[in-house]
Amino acid sequence: MRLPTARDIGIIARREYRARIRSKGFWISTIALPLLMAAWLVVPSLILSKTRSSQRLAVVDVTGNIAAPLVERLDEWAVTTAEQVSFDIEIVAIESDAEALRRRLDARVLDGDIQAWVWIDDTGLRDNTVEYHAESLTNFITQQTLERALSSVIQRERLQTGGYDVERIGELIRSVDLETVRVSAEGSKADAGIGGFALAIFLFMVLYMTTLLYGNQVMLGVLEEKNSRIVEILIATVRPLELMLGKLIGIGLIGLTQLSIWVATALLLTAPALVGLATALPENVEIPTLSVALIAHFLALFILGYFLYATFYAMVGSAFNNPQEAQQLASLAVVFVVLPWLFFMPILNDPDSTLAVVTSLIPMFTPTLMMLRIAVKMPPAWQLLLGYVLTFASCLAMTWLCARIYRVGILMYGKKPTLKEVWRWIRYA
Amino acid sequence: MDPSIELQQLRKTYGDFLAVDDVSLSVRPGEVCGLLGPNGAGKTTSIRMLMDIIAPDSGRVLFFGRPRTRAELSRVGYLPEERGLYRKMTVVDHLVFLGELRGLSRRQALPAIDSYLDRLELADWRKSKVEELSKGMQQKIQLIGTVLHDPEIVVLDEPFSGLDPINQGLFKDILSDFKARGKTILFSTHVMEQAEKLCDAIALIAHGRVVLDGNLGEIKRGFARRSYRLVARGDLTLVSTVAGIDDCLQQERYVRLLLAADVDSSSVLRRLVDLVDVEEFRSEEPELEEIFVTAVRNAGLDVDSAARRPQ
Repeated sequence: MRLPTARDIGIIARREYRARIRSKGFWISTIALPLLMAAWLVVPSLILSKTRSSQRLAVVDVTGNIAAPLVERLDEWAVTTAEQVSFDIEIVAIESDAEALRRRLDARVLDGDIQAWVWIDDTGLRDNTVEYHAESLTNFITQQTLERALSSVIQRERLQTGGYDVERIGELIRSVDLETVRVSAEGSKADAGIGGFALAIFLFMVLYMTTLLYGNQVMLGVLEEKNSRIVEILIATVRPLELMLGKLIGIGLIGLTQLSIWVATALLLTAPALVGLATALPENVEIPTLSVALIAHFLALFILGYFLYATFYAMVGSAFNNPQEAQQLASLAVVFVVLPWLFFMPILNDPDSTLAVVTSLIPMFTPTLMMLRIAVKMPPAWQLLLGYVLTFASCLAMTWLCARIYRVGILMYGKKPTLKEVWRWIRYA
Repeated sequence: MDPSIELQQLRKTYGDFLAVDDVSLSVRPGEVCGLLGPNGAGKTTSIRMLMDIIAPDSGRVLFFGRPRTRAELSRVGYLPEERGLYRKMTVVDHLVFLGELRGLSRRQALPAIDSYLDRLELADWRKSKVEELSKGMQQKIQLIGTVLHDPEIVVLDEPFSGLDPINQGLFKDILSDFKARGKTILFSTHVMEQAEKLCDAIALIAHGRVVLDGNLGEIKRGFARRSYRLVARGDLTLVSTVAGIDDCLQQERYVRLLLAADVDSSSVLRRLVDLVDVEEFRSEEPELEEIFVTAVRNAGLDVDSAARRPQ
């Protein structure tokens, strides 16, 4: 009749897995999370590109030879390129009383009749400036477009005045583009970097979101067991450590199931057959490839990161009586999960910098930051190994510490414990 | 024969708080033993140490004469005082889960589950979710979970608290059935009447110590010879000063007297008549409650604070 520990952990984990895989919540989050993430990445730029805001502008051109070509240039751009702003320009004639005109234009801005007015005169042009008056000055896209159009028109005007061949000069001063080629062990290939960037940000975000998602589920699960008092019945035959590990494994397997579904879907969508169909995509959008090594690292880092944070969440759940109380301490975990965002851009920019190496070796950050580095450029083997060893050791330390609090905490009801009391629980055991 | 359960000098402190001072107890096979005492006396802590839920500071627990192993806990059916179920699980899944935790396979558990569900008139709810059940039904499920694996020993912490009268009857039936089949039962309660009806043996616990234990009949007989009921008028505070009276308890309608072991009752009555106006003086078996109070006093403990507040 001997009950081996592994058997108990298995029973707890299986119950946890079954209960969750059958729940609607699991399937909703499986479908909703990728959509949400895609939305987070795509929607803002989509909204920006689809909603071409129309700007009504009044232009006062004292010099007399800028306004007309400016309107021409902006109209031309509106047709040929996907500019996000279209301009509706009214050319206002200069009056003898310039101050009165300015006041009238200000009034029209305040009335909402026009969004802005532009004043072009020789004094300004000598300093390479053109006045722009508007109620809101945060519409950088409008300002930039206008700036480029003005520069182009004024440059042309100056060249012509100087007696140069404008067309010839235009050809000579064409800018140069970098043609990027990614060098990797599998061979070099043309890559605009956008695919790699998208992959890095995608993997980073999945790890970041799942750590919080499943950690929170562990915490709520522990609280549910504590509040329903089922825990009293369970620990008659299961040790608290077995109960905690069973729960972590069960929910972890749910996480792996969910990730597998996502990865499989991603592989299916990037399969050669489908990519062939997607040739309609613009040239510079590349579909990133998921290599076996990448997926293996991703899953390994997910498991380590999950255990590191979920043990903490289990401990928090055990120490408190309801989610509101627990949230305070749980937000500490959120801080550690969110902090890597600070290093996101620097690491992307230079994945071998000292900053990147050091931060990606801090166990709390290893899961997300090492993943980021792997996605951008495979780090040296010793760094990978060290990262894994340190994170694994931290998982063991966290499990040991949290289990001590957990086994006292799950039997404590009533008032919210103070940190001092929680500290005492560690020494009880 | 070795006792089924033996607690030896268990002691447990939480920081400065002494939860259990010194609890020793043995329950013979086939015996129903009641662990009695007010809330906070240390019953739940003792039971938790028995079940290896918390570790004692000192003392040990024996099952069947040998130090209890973790594996042997699967031979015990345990119903804690605070008990719950997973709300979202179906009744049958939940019971299979509890059975598995206590060492049964799914195939072994299912027939036992169905027979209990039939017996407790829950067969129609087999596939329902636990949250759809009434509180009384959930209590039945908890009891089934406790005894599903046909344990040798059943340990119940305040089994009757919160039960409606019908479920109390059902619980008692199932416990009687277990007793009839030679199983050992230990349960705790703070309601003395329940213990009087069910127990072969009792252990009275106060201030974390067992103040009196043994066969219930013998204890009561031991007290019965010395126990008298007095109804009288006058200054009843004088009664306790009478020589030959070990203990006297002022009850609502009468005074319970416990005479010293070797004293003659008629001599005590003569002395009483001098002090108060005696209407009734007769030999009577004491209530368990009264035995408890006397036992606590004899142990030199304070009765009013017999229950200490848990931390």
